[in-house]
Parts: sequence; C-alpha cells; structure tokens
Amino acid sequence: MGPQGAVQQPTRTEPVLPALSPGQVVGLEGPTGLGLTRLGLSLLAAPSRVGMVVALDVRGWLSPASAWEVGVIPDRLVLIRCDDRKLWPQVAAAVLEGVAAVYAEVPSGVGEQQLRRLAALNRARRAALMLRPLRGDLPSGIAHLRLRSTGVSWEGVDGGHGRLTRRRISLEISGKSIPLQEMEFEDAFQLTPHVSRFTSHA
Amino acid sequence: MRTLCVWYPDWPLQVFETAKDLDCQGCLVVEPRPAQRRGGEAQVVRAADLSAQEAGIRIGMGRREAEALCPTARVLQRDLGAESRQFELVIESLENLIPHVEIVEPGLALLPVGGAVRYHGGEEDLVRKVAKELADLAPGARIGLADGPFAARWAAIDAVDEPRIIDDTPRFLASLDVATLEHQELIDTFRWLGVTTLGSLAGLPREAIASRFGAEGLAAHRLASGEDRPPHPRPISPLLAVEAHYDDPLETLDQVAFAARALSTRLMNGLRREGIAPHRVEIQAEASNGTTRTRVWRASDPFIESSLIERVWWQLRVWVEQGGVSGGLVRLRLDPADLSGDGRQLALLETVRGSWEGYDPGRPEAERALARAQTILGPDAVLQAAPQGGRLPGEQVLWRRWGEEATGAERDADSPWPGSTPGPSPALVPDSLQLEVEWDAGMPTRVRLGSRWEPVLNWSGPWRLSGRWWKGEQAADRYQLVTSAGAFLVVVRDTRAYLVGIYD
Repeated sequence: MGPQGAVQQPTRTEPVLPALSPGQVVGLEGPTGLGLTRLGLSLLAAPSRVGMVVALDVRGWLSPASAWEVGVIPDRLVLIRCDDRKLWPQVAAAVLEGVAAVYAEVPSGVGEQQLRRLAALNRARRAALMLRPLRGDLPSGIAHLRLRSTGVSWEGVDGGHGRLTRRRISLEISGKSIPLQEMEFEDAFQLTPHVSRFTSHA
Repeated sequence: MRTLCVWYPDWPLQVFETAKDLDCQGCLVVEPRPAQRRGGEAQVVRAADLSAQEAGIRIGMGRREAEALCPTARVLQRDLGAESRQFELVIESLENLIPHVEIVEPGLALLPVGGAVRYHGGEEDLVRKVAKELADLAPGARIGLADGPFAARWAAIDAVDEPRIIDDTPRFLASLDVATLEHQELIDTFRWLGVTTLGSLAGLPREAIASRFGAEGLAAHRLASGEDRPPHPRPISPLLAVEAHYDDPLETLDQVAFAARALSTRLMNGLRREGIAPHRVEIQAEASNGTTRTRVWRASDPFIESSLIERVWWQLRVWVEQGGVSGGLVRLRLDPADLSGDGRQLALLETVRGSWEGYDPGRPEAERALARAQTILGPDAVLQAAPQGGRLPGEQVLWRRWGEEATGAERDADSPWPGSTPGPSPALVPDSLQLEVEWDAGMPTRVRLGSRWEPVLNWSGPWRLSGRWWKGEQAADRYQLVTSAGAFLVVVRDTRAYLVGIYD
C-alpha cells in the first residue's frame, strides 16, 4: 500500500533468484533491519498468483501491507502468529502440506533436525519455503539458496527533509552448486510499478 | 418432508432372543469396525444387554476394552442375515400402513409420511397405529416423527417411553448437542470453539463454516439448520441406473450373491466416473413368474462400494430365503437417488454462490492445512488482512480471523488520508515499543538498539500527527530515522519516542 493506500505492483525479484523452484528452500540470514523481511515477502508474490501463501510470524510484527506492496495478492496471504518454539515445527509442517509457499521466521531454539524434516517435507510437497532465522544462521545443507544481508543504505531523507525512497541491500549469495558471490539488491519505492533489481558487485 | 423413524435400539440382541431363542442376559453383540471409522480395534460393540451396559460397556467401544470391563459377558457375532430377515417382517407390516419405506439398516427404517398422514387422519393417529402394529409384532420400537430423516431419527432416539412427534423441528434441533453430528473431529473442534448445540452451529454464517471446515462442516451446518438432504448437484440421469437380465433364473444364494456384487460394482464404477455417490438406492428384483419386488435402502453417508454390495446382498437374501422371487431371479435393477457430489468438492464451490469464479484447484488442500494450523494455535493466530485507511502503518491493516467473512473497512483505503505516513510501508510493525532516542537541538542523533547506541545517519520529519482532541488523543510527531542497522519509523508523543515501524 502506498502513501494513499494504493497497492503497488509486484517487484521483479523472482527471475533473478535461480533456485526458487518448487520444493527448494531459501535461507534469509542477517540481523533485523538489513532488509530481509521485505525481500523474503517479495518471494511470496509469484506463488500467490497460483495458490495460498503463508507468512509465519514469530514476533507478531509482520506487516501484510509491506507484502501487498511487493506484489503478494492480499486475498491469498495468510499470516500465522506463533511464538511458541515447540509448536512452531508442527505449524510450519501443517501449512506446508497445503499452501504454495511459506515465508517463515524461525524462532531461536528450533532444532536442526526439525528444520531438516521441514525441508524434506517441502521437497515432497514441492512448495516454496523461505526460512528467516531470527537469531544466528541456518544449519548448513538445508537451504538451496542462502541470502545473507551484510548492510543496507537508504536514500531520500536528508536532514529532516524528504522521505525514504530507495534502498540498497548488500547481499552475499551462496547455495548448493552456487559459489559465494556478493550482490546488491536495490529497491526503488518512489516508482510505480515498484522496481527491484540485483546488481553484481563484480 | 415429514418423516417417521422406526428404530430398534437393541435389534441385534432382539433377533438373537426371538429368532435364535437365546437368553441374552449379560450378552454383547460385536461387529467389524465400520470402514469410515478408522483406528482402534477391529471389532466394536454394536449392542449390549442392560447388565453389560451397567458394567460400563458402551456402543461403539472396542471388543477387547468391553471384555476387560465385563469379563463374564457373552460375546455374540452380529448376524446381519438373520437381522435382515426378521426386519423384513417389520417392514412388511409397516408397508400395510405407509407404502414407502426406506431401510437404513436392519432395525432402523425411515418412512416419508406426507400422504399417509392425510389418509390416516393426522400424525397422531398414524403414529398410534404404527406403534400398535409394531407392539404386537416386535415390541421395543422407538418411533419419532419430524421434518427430515436426521431430526426424525433423533426424535426416535429421544422417544424412550412413547412415540415422539416433533412439531417445531428447528427448535428441537437447536436443543440437540453437537455430538449428534456423529463426526468426532468436527464435534471436538466445535466444542473447543464454544459451539455446543446444533442451534449455536446453525447461527453461524454458512460460508464461514464451509470455508473453515470444508464439505463436512457444510453438511453439519445443513443438518443443524434442518436442511437434511444436500441439494442435488445436477439432474439425475436415468442412464445412471444399472440393470441385469438373467436368461437362466438365479435360484441359489451363491448365484444371487455374485449377481449382487457384480451389479453393485457396476453401479458404483459408473457413479465414480461422474464423481457422485448415492444416499439412496432402490433395489428391484423380478422373479421368473413375473412378480417384481422393490425396496429402498438409504444411508446417511453416501454409499461406497462395499456398503452397497452389503445392502443389496442382505435384501436379495431375504427375498430368496422367504421365497419372494419364486422360480428364481431373472432381472435385477439398482436405481440410485439423492446423489451427493462428494469427491467433487461441490459443497465448497457453493460458497462462491454457484459460480466458478474464484475457484482454485489447490484451495481445499490449503483450507485443510490452515484449519490444522488453527487447531494447533487457536483461531486468533491465523489471520488474513485487507487494506484500510489510516495514518500510521498499524492502522492501515484491517485484520480478521482466517475463515471469517471480510467485513467492510471502517476507514476507506481509497479515500485521501492527508497526513498519512509516506511509503514504503515498514515490513515490521511492532506494537509501539518504547525507544530511547537522543536529541540535539530538536534533531535526532542516536538511537539505542538493544545494548548499543547507533548514530542516526540521516532523518526525515517531523510529520505532525494531530490527534482527535475531542477524544482525548494527543498530537504526535513522526520521524524516519536511518542508521547503519536499518531505517525506523518513530513516533514521538509527550517527549517519549516509540518504535512503530522497521523498514526491514
């Protein structure tokens, strides 16, 4: 939703992420504030065009408005709030059984085995699973594609004037058969449609 | 439709006592667990003598559990053949009063009584005649009369001492417990949600029930609302009936059993291709001397192949053993009716008011998955949202529980909202967390994030947020603060700063 409430158009995030095919897991690693939530939600946009998608919210902070802005269809998005780390694996597994994609914040304390089981279930169900650990990184071998945010810079504000209009997220991308590479992900918010693009640092 | 139900609660025991001349004191009758009730022991109790019931044995209980409770009980295997033969006498007697009889199982029959009531001069007169007829032939019947088979059956269950006629069926249904739905998962969930009677279930919006509980929930809501039969999804084609002619009349039970199985399988295969299943099947048999016999069997759940084979076999066996098809069987016809759309998720499609618009082939799976999540976490944890107008990010989202009908936004999202926080929307919206911000001459310089202070690299604001003073709301200022750890939306009210958005 933009400043006047209009839902903006989808981002073009999906084509640049080679591993985002059904059954694969994307890991989003890095501290809160460095831009991974909106990026993760944008990965729900394409699956929401074919079925229901779920955002699993551990802190109760996720904003659906942000998901709508990056192209997730409002009627197809369900937010599930679960701050109980014991119930979290059950809930994540239950929703993976039926929806097209899940963006899941991972609370601290969820075991490696539980995450591996979830990844296996995701493979079997051929859904898309984005895991966003709130503390630390994912155990190795779970994510097919790992996006680690190392920094974010913002444009548009200047000494009390303007508003946030553009951000650049520095990302390290690696994964199964993908060598580590640094990339920059850019979001431009003043444009309609809302435009995102990856730029190689090389 | 006004329906009369005749039910013998202890029919299996009664048959052992009358037809086999057994003393059933301390007896219980067991049968194989019905296919639709998964889990548990292979055999379950179908009937139990009073003394066995006093020992704690209940209908539906596993055989081993029952034997453990009452080790001295004598266990009898249910004899459906004998029960059908005995019940045929009851049916024939009923047919003298009411021409159309539908058998649910031996011991339970339903009779639509519209015409018979007029003929016999009223419901009370008819019920009295039925009760008198049965008291002489086979005492112990419970008789109920109400609108539709479901209500009639529960009226009969309730008719312990004398026949029960229900004039106000919706009121009668409203008082029944949800356990009468006989679907344990649904019952447990309804109870957990605080829905304990059929009346409270009927009061819920049907579309919400269909969305939350799928076809089974929809069927339960219909029953609770007094709408017994699901609407027919399409006209019933006469081509769906199956018929077989036998040049050499079938005279032995083996031959008839084979014919019953073959024709039932043919019928169900044909219906399966159409994605439908019958609630009612008329069995018609013609003897070589030209006489034709007809009987209707009904099931509360749509027939599956095994249950249909069983019923056709029971019926043919009764006719053959009683000499009802003298000279042998030369023609057999099965005519399905009350077709249900089970297997086509028709009930869910109804929720979009009969149109295909909005149909998503994966939707039923998603519904089940989200319902499961709701069961684990509770209804308040599974949410959907719609945009609405507002000045702060938290105000711009209208939440509702998943499965509940979307209501109109209190604040129109398409209306201009002067003073609304400019985009983008923060991806994370904490519920007004207090935040420490250091200021220098009205300009933010540092924010405290956890245990560390982050310098403010840049900022925008203040944007004044005028509160509704007539409601006691205070004015506030909003700032976008940029640090190396991210950008934040901060509201400053009464010299205190609150974090209301993280641009993550």
